[in-house]
Amino acid sequence: MSFLELKNITKRYGPLTAVGDVSLSVEKGEFVSLLGPSGCGKTTTLQMIAGFVEPSAGTIRLDGRDITRAKANSRGLGIVFQSYALFPHMTVFDNVSFGLEMQRVPKGERKPRVEEALSLVHLSPYAKRYPRELSGGQRQRVALARALVIRPPVLLLDEPLSNLDAKLREAMQFELREIQRKVGTTTVMVTHDQAEAFSISDRVVVMEAGRITQIDQPYRIYEHPETEFISRFVGKTNLLPGKVVTATGAGATVSLAGIAVPVETPGLSVGETVTLCIRPEKLHLAAPAGGLLTGRVADRFFLGSQWLYHIDGPLGTLMVVTPNDGSTPAEQGAPVGLEWSPSVVRVHRGAMAEAPDVALEVTG
Amino acid sequence: MTRNGPAALFFHTLVVIFMLAPLVIVCLVAFTPENTLSLPTRGFSLRWFEAVFHHPDFVQSFWNSLWLAVLSATLAVALAVPASLAITRWEFPGRGFLNALFLSPLIIPHLVLGVAMLRLFAVVGAAGSFGWLVAAHMVIVTPYVMRLLIAAISGFDRSVEQAAFSLGASEATVFRRVTLPMILPGVTGGWLIAFINSFDELTMSIFITSPSTVTLPVRMYMYATESIDPMMAAVSALIIGITAVAVLLLDRVYGLDRILVGQH
Repeated sequence: MSFLELKNITKRYGPLTAVGDVSLSVEKGEFVSLLGPSGCGKTTTLQMIAGFVEPSAGTIRLDGRDITRAKANSRGLGIVFQSYALFPHMTVFDNVSFGLEMQRVPKGERKPRVEEALSLVHLSPYAKRYPRELSGGQRQRVALARALVIRPPVLLLDEPLSNLDAKLREAMQFELREIQRKVGTTTVMVTHDQAEAFSISDRVVVMEAGRITQIDQPYRIYEHPETEFISRFVGKTNLLPGKVVTATGAGATVSLAGIAVPVETPGLSVGETVTLCIRPEKLHLAAPAGGLLTGRVADRFFLGSQWLYHIDGPLGTLMVVTPNDGSTPAEQGAPVGLEWSPSVVRVHRGAMAEAPDVALEVTG
Repeated sequence: MTRNGPAALFFHTLVVIFMLAPLVIVCLVAFTPENTLSLPTRGFSLRWFEAVFHHPDFVQSFWNSLWLAVLSATLAVALAVPASLAITRWEFPGRGFLNALFLSPLIIPHLVLGVAMLRLFAVVGAAGSFGWLVAAHMVIVTPYVMRLLIAAISGFDRSVEQAAFSLGASEATVFRRVTLPMILPGVTGGWLIAFINSFDELTMSIFITSPSTVTLPVRMYMYATESIDPMMAAVSALIIGITAVAVLLLDRVYGLDRILVGQH
């Protein structure tokens, strides 16, 4: 029996289905992220767990108890909002203390608990300040302390880091994970940022147009995306349309604009239309004559630790990422060869979709 | 921001002088020792202020106006807070109508309202009642409160309430501990502007006050139709003083820019 269980959760707004038939089990202590583009229903799902939105159908169980119709103020969950939602007229201490007061924790016990929560987020010296006197990152920590101080069974994070600048966001990601490990609270986070979801989650739930398309560990989602949408949405990818020309039990050969490429996907049939998906870092530059393909460097971008190349070739423009090992990079316009191992090629059945990832915006 | 040229500055100065001159002059006249409305040339005197405070009708009317303004402003706020919350936050049938209804007294001339109220009070047999006078003033001042509150509530981040709710607070507690403190500047500003409007209201009040409920502006009007002496100037100076204090307070708690320019 899992700790938090969503079963066939659906939310309809008139004719529009914001969330359709979502089922998800979260184990105790687990960190799960709902990842998807805006309007995919991830925030609505979180709000249904929180109790702010009532599901049209389905059940939500927490520790075996049905909380589907329970009011938000009786669920006892800790929630961190995108806007932080601190009480502007209260000090940091009073913000954190509010939840304890509501739970009628005796006054003498409140103070040490608030102090403990503030020290957990490294904000002890700021207890007497008002939210307006704090930076974005500090407000974020207050919001986290306020949610954790009531010792919630589940912590819900709604795009918790999206209002922070890039550097701070990265630092907070790791800190968030560290704090979550320390207190061991089961956590569900909503994010549209795949790097954020990947770096701190035990499992990632990819949502698309109100439905779950894949639930897996982060590296598995990256390496084995189940749909073309996921491979586009999660990281960069090269998508190549082709047709199966030969197929054996263990693999197949796919023709891409006349070039035969071996793949290791079993179960394909000859003549089938497929889309190959190769991550840019799985492609390697080789000598012009060598490799499986030859092309020309159309553009190159220096990303610090990496180089990103756009290579024009017989298959159109391909993205290639190579680590910056300190050696001289290929010049713009230079002819290069491309090689890759057949094991890194993922095959999606069917033709390539033209317009990806545009979904109707329902909630932020 | 562009700087004003000399011609514009000259023009602005003229406008300000034109607007302020009558107020300055009436305040100066209030200090005259003479028996006629005249600028004090032979020293200042407080005799006309003394006359006001020894005139029982004016003292009575002052208290009437003060109570009327305090009560109608307070009741208007009590009505406007839930009304603006409902209008701003929920979609319900008749929402637009209700909003228009609350704001409509702004566009109806007070003269018309006065005649209508007079008739209404006669029909319900409430002529001369102080309670009904308060109700009539509420009609006039509520739109001002509503406008300020709707502006204050529109910029409100609902997730702050959700946060309080998720921490275990009941609806009533969320309102008392979170919503109300956060819209308090709008509430206070609305109360003060309602107070000022009720305190100076003349046109409607002429029709619906009775001898025992005559307000200060009505009393001045009645007095001025019979005789003009510097006591009028002294009363005017006092009203200007009270209103100025209220406006200063309003500026401190809410900001005049936000009310007059609509910025928030």
